[in-house]
Amino acid sequence: MGPDIEMDQLSLQLNGVTILPPITARLKAGQLHVITGPNGAGKSSLMKALLGLLPHSGDIRRHWPGKPGKVAYVPQQTAFEPSLPVTVQEFLLSSLNRRAFFGRRRKQDLQRVAELLQQVGMEGKEHLRLGQLSGGERQRLLFAQALEQQALFWCLDEPMTGLDQQAQEIITAAIQQLRQQGATLLVIQHDPAWTEQHADCIWKVEDGLRRSA
Amino acid sequence: MEALRQLVFSLQQAGYLPEMFQYAFLTNALVAALIIGPLLGALGPLVVVKRLAFFSEAVGHGALTGVALGILLGEPATQPFAALFTFCLLFALLLHWIRSRTQVPYDALVGVFLSFAIALGAALLLYVAKKVNVHILENVLFGSILTVRDADLLVMAVIAATCVLLMLTGGNRALISSLAPDLAKVRGINVRLYDYVFVLLIALVTVASVKIVGAILVGALLLIPATAARLISRTGREFFWYSVVFATISCLLGILLPMAGALPIPSGAAIVLIASAGFLLALLVRRWRSLA
Repeated sequence: MGPDIEMDQLSLQLNGVTILPPITARLKAGQLHVITGPNGAGKSSLMKALLGLLPHSGDIRRHWPGKPGKVAYVPQQTAFEPSLPVTVQEFLLSSLNRRAFFGRRRKQDLQRVAELLQQVGMEGKEHLRLGQLSGGERQRLLFAQALEQQALFWCLDEPMTGLDQQAQEIITAAIQQLRQQGATLLVIQHDPAWTEQHADCIWKVEDGLRRSA
Repeated sequence: MEALRQLVFSLQQAGYLPEMFQYAFLTNALVAALIIGPLLGALGPLVVVKRLAFFSEAVGHGALTGVALGILLGEPATQPFAALFTFCLLFALLLHWIRSRTQVPYDALVGVFLSFAIALGAALLLYVAKKVNVHILENVLFGSILTVRDADLLVMAVIAATCVLLMLTGGNRALISSLAPDLAKVRGINVRLYDYVFVLLIALVTVASVKIVGAILVGALLLIPATAARLISRTGREFFWYSVVFATISCLLGILLPMAGALPIPSGAAIVLIASAGFLLALLVRRWRSLA
């Protein structure tokens, strides 16, 4: 089971400018929480703060029901340098094997990579370089590497961006499965139809954070 | 080492090796190349991925000041390792620390440090030049195969072993930290620690390479083989191993060719010229592949 996420007077400043005024809220465990709001409202910054990637004031507490589990993050629009010779397989192997780039590759690791790619509809793309991937493929690859973590707290920053209809269905199915497994999911999403259909709880970021459903 | 030198000498006397192998210093230099080449080649891809070529260059130039300080503090002019390592490490750590605490663009910050390192090194070296043979300083700047002693090889071997250990245990995570720092942090990888370990490695490798490659050109050998390897590699694994092979071949040929041709070229310059030729070759291979 994933954790409850508690924000107590959480606020964000950047170079002296307040990005988010103090927020006090609690995200319930095992639910799919969707964050919406206009561009520049601070949705991604809030997610990064919850992941410990941005400095903030106030408190963030993760209340795990038992032993703390892993955390997965799928960032928005991660770009890889086009000419960098690192393959999809190597990128995923690096999560499984400490010597992915210069050591021996274990058969079970290669099989696991193939399974992960299949789960996100990217079978057969092991040998593409990161820089050769389209925006949608990059999103799916990042989702695949997050799946490998078997995490119980997921933060997904616009995971559907750049995905075609089929890929959206694959990722949506995976998100639903994670929720059924008890993970706490936090998803930044602009599509109102998707949000309405899948969210347990909708939060709007606009001059603070408020629950809208 | 003595046994190896004897063996090489015997093989030369028996006619299996060219005449130049009768000199013990050549054997020492080749052993040094076989330690330093793979080390520089292995670290190069990380320098390229992290876009720290300019940083490595600055640390290499910091070696000038390190050498001068060592001599001033009474270390042997041919082996000022303690001052060299201490200064390079402090220089690299300070640069890295200021980077994380300022909004000055990184290339501009490295440029400031690089200029400072050259200016301070030049000032101190000219002062020191009154006290020691000027050829010693030339060797420090551009490398020399004549000055590699057993003690130098021991220092290189210890540094190489340390670097290999650090890379085997953390190289993979360091690369992930460079490719996707936010993902690495969320996965619990201490990205800042890996950055500082990398700085330590650059300082260590600079110290190890000064004898053969010279302080001025260490940065070039961290950069050129890896950049050439990147041009022709299809995978990360190829990138790593091609870089190791390019750097090792450059070091070996940079020592052997001037000896064979009796050319009075410093080893560092010869090594970097050969590495540059390898880079041009890699460009041609890439071009040929794109046309094929």
